[in-house]
Amino acid sequence: MDYKKTSGLSALIGAGLVLGAGQVQAQAAGWVGQVKVSRGIVQFERAGQRLPAPVGLRLKENDVILTEANGSVGLMFNDNSTLSMGPNGEVVLERYAYDSTTYLGAFDAFVKRGAVSLEAGNLANAVPESVRVKTPQAEIKGQARNFAVNVEGK
Amino acid sequence: MKKPVKFPALTLSALAIVVLAGCAGQRETYVVLPDAKGQAGALTVTPREGQALKLQGAYASAVGKPGSAPVPAKLTEEEIKAAFAEALSARPDAPIKFTLYFREGSDELIPESRKDFDSVLAEVKKRAAPDVIVVGHTDRVGLLQDNDRLALRRAEKMRQELVKLGLPADSVQAAGRGEREPLVPTADEIAEPKNRRVEMLVR
Repeated sequence: MDYKKTSGLSALIGAGLVLGAGQVQAQAAGWVGQVKVSRGIVQFERAGQRLPAPVGLRLKENDVILTEANGSVGLMFNDNSTLSMGPNGEVVLERYAYDSTTYLGAFDAFVKRGAVSLEAGNLANAVPESVRVKTPQAEIKGQARNFAVNVEGK
Repeated sequence: MKKPVKFPALTLSALAIVVLAGCAGQRETYVVLPDAKGQAGALTVTPREGQALKLQGAYASAVGKPGSAPVPAKLTEEEIKAAFAEALSARPDAPIKFTLYFREGSDELIPESRKDFDSVLAEVKKRAAPDVIVVGHTDRVGLLQDNDRLALRRAEKMRQELVKLGLPADSVQAAGRGEREPLVPTADEIAEPKNRRVEMLVR
């Protein structure tokens, strides 16, 4: 048998059940991802403030990530999608929505400048084109889970 | 009479240089990359102006310039790897999945899985900014709702152990999937030890 006694549930588990058993609880309070790699000078902009973006920093929708001439950065999102960027780059996390039960959602990144590589995670398992990149000139999406975009010049 | 003729010509070429410089100001490159297994899909590049372009297969590439449609580029694999060298080297390590098994109807790990929990910890320690996603599962014996609770209790137990060992609470997420995602598909009410598990994704 593989059942559980309903008595003696801890308060913690009770809190999780409110959200429904199949849902990841506490989607880290609005965090959509995390800085996993940060080399050289890497900064982020949130609510008009620009601050350093060290390894471990939690990311939110609408954050802007910037790298200097010596900088590169690697981000991982809640659905295991990753985005990494080389020097002199700027990317806006325009939209990130992810349901960890259904894998439905959307990820839109605006690459203003710089070389950026992407690997789509669980979002692409549900809907292949749900991870998209926009640049000053184009929109890029597809079945490809791995792709890269370089915006050079000013 | 000859000199005034030359001036407009000079002005025109100066203008042409300015226009060209403006165009060269922004050049975009789009590339399909293979995954770890060498698989690659198709990518559609839709410009603000002009026709969309479809790129198919590993290292297919295109170049876009302001005011015109993207055109296929013949970049070699080496050229692409060089252009994206820093970005590719900054990719986060791929997540690693561990599967730990439980005693029947319980949130107690079986002894073998205790050792695997140590492997989870070792992987967590290897990473600069680790976070872990724990998903609990059950076999199909018992009621769906009871199994939902048990699955979540298993995941929570592992979550709490990681937090107790020093992982920040907001770096571990726990979820239960009940009997919905068996590792070994069975009929209802079948006891299957391989389905009494948590999957821990160390990222």
